[in-house]
Amino acid sequence: MTEQLLSQTGAGNTTPADASAAGRGLDWLNLFVANIQTGFGPFISVYLTTQGWTQTAIGFALSLGTVTALASQVPAGALVDATHSKSRIAAFSIVVFTASALLLALWPMPLSVYLAEVLHGISSCTLGPAIAAMSLAVAGRSAFALRLGRNARFASIGNGIGAALMGACGYYVSERAVFFLTAGLTLPALAALVPLSHLDRERRRGRKTPARREPLGRVLADRRLVIFAICAMLFTLANAAMLPLAGSALTKRAGSESSLLIAACIVLPQLMVALLSPSLGRLAEARGRRPVLLLGFCALPLRGLLFAMVTDPVLLVLVQVLDGIAAACFGVMVPLVASDIAGSSGRFNAALGFIGFAIGIGGTLSTTLAGWFADWLGDPAAFLGLALVGAAATLLVWSAMPETRPTQR
Amino acid sequence: MAGWREPRRLGSRAIALALLLTAAPAHAAPGGDIGGGGAPGAAPPQVPATPELAPGTPPAAGTKADPPLPKNLETFAPDEAIGLLGKKVRDAAGEDMGLVVDVLVDSGGRPRAAVIDFGGFLGVGSRKIAIDWRLLQLKPVDTAMTVLLSLTRADVQAAPEYKPSSNPGQPIVVVGPPPPSSTAAPASSDTPK
Repeated sequence: MTEQLLSQTGAGNTTPADASAAGRGLDWLNLFVANIQTGFGPFISVYLTTQGWTQTAIGFALSLGTVTALASQVPAGALVDATHSKSRIAAFSIVVFTASALLLALWPMPLSVYLAEVLHGISSCTLGPAIAAMSLAVAGRSAFALRLGRNARFASIGNGIGAALMGACGYYVSERAVFFLTAGLTLPALAALVPLSHLDRERRRGRKTPARREPLGRVLADRRLVIFAICAMLFTLANAAMLPLAGSALTKRAGSESSLLIAACIVLPQLMVALLSPSLGRLAEARGRRPVLLLGFCALPLRGLLFAMVTDPVLLVLVQVLDGIAAACFGVMVPLVASDIAGSSGRFNAALGFIGFAIGIGGTLSTTLAGWFADWLGDPAAFLGLALVGAAATLLVWSAMPETRPTQR
Repeated sequence: MAGWREPRRLGSRAIALALLLTAAPAHAAPGGDIGGGGAPGAAPPQVPATPELAPGTPPAAGTKADPPLPKNLETFAPDEAIGLLGKKVRDAAGEDMGLVVDVLVDSGGRPRAAVIDFGGFLGVGSRKIAIDWRLLQLKPVDTAMTVLLSLTRADVQAAPEYKPSSNPGQPIVVVGPPPPSSTAAPASSDTPK
């Protein structure tokens, strides 16, 4: 696609240097968006608690966000597919983030918080695919895996910085300040979009007649996509509850340093992702998707097993290295496999949304499942149960997931 | 409880009632650390019995010219009482002990325990733990330190997680005073300095 764009340089504004400016824009965009998303994480419940919210009301608000995100995954993906200007959709999503963060910060009252959750749920679903689509446009199909590795690297750096920044902000300034900070961070994210805005214009010029899109139903019914979505669902089912459960174990076992150890549990995997992702992207290109997928999926049951056995707080943090490996593989593979399967159908973002939907379901069920296990049989049993689900996911990848790397042209 | 660990999921917290108004009057003394008889009602040392619905005594204030204005209004000074939900809890040394997320009251409306959300980082890994009401000192005047807990982290961190009565037969586990001073009378169990 890029080659196509580059050959199109009649006006001389699409030079390789330009493409790399777009690349740098993507780097920063991923970093700042991850930054912002940290602010919309579980910290919202702490903030609303300090605002005198009851746990019931907080649960409702967060569920509203979850349900909105679940419901809008596929439609949002389809919308991004149908829109020419991916950068404009990204910009719009980020501005909606600004509004959500400000709503939370300024009016922590039910109606505005619900609105913020709904807005954030929807715009998360448009922003993710829009970034993936711009990445595909900038890198082209042949270098997409490498680009995704780079995206994951910068996103994880952004996550790590975001956690540190917002943790400090909540501790030293105020809980509310975290959301002003989140709103402020949307500005550099918008700035990062500037070098990407020309993509659209060239895209329109490059492809006067948009390739005919395959019917949505046929793309979503692709056997490989369905299998991968189930794998992704099981992965998240096993994965999502592990960190909160480990954090809770740390709070139980460690003294006043427990908060720092939990912070380390969050940041260490991000560090691993930042280090590993680019090489994993290269590996996926050179050796295929399956090895990378299997590596990431294998790390998951192993991590659950270790969490079930390890009690020393510092060792517990070190087990999170495996989280980094799994997250790096998973983060690169999800958009890559989606593009392998649906990239040429004009339904890339809908496919991505479909996988996102499966991931959302897995995440929603994960903590419920782990909570039941933990209540009945204790934390080790919960970790073992999650490890078992992870093992099932790995088995499914190994036995049913075909290699999706396009054959060399 | 599942829901406390990761908030981003469906209806998880919907079980948590804002105020457990029916806090099991019959089997209310779980660990023996709560004085058996009607004593606990007299417990809260710092809070005068303010937000009660003491009838009669129409007050002088409330003289805005709005529509009907009920006759039975009462007032108390702003530093007499506070909303407790979301207030920060600190120990004697000033260390952060979490946030008040719930108050458990018995059938007489008397508080028996406060549920605090304890520990964690950015909302990850915190634990909900119920604390015997008598171990809390409330200082409505002092906005910087409204709730003082006469326990340390070590006393609280390993306590079992508070679970809203999902199973009616199951007792609610509450962290009581530290073992040696178990004889402390409800009224005088302020701060074991």
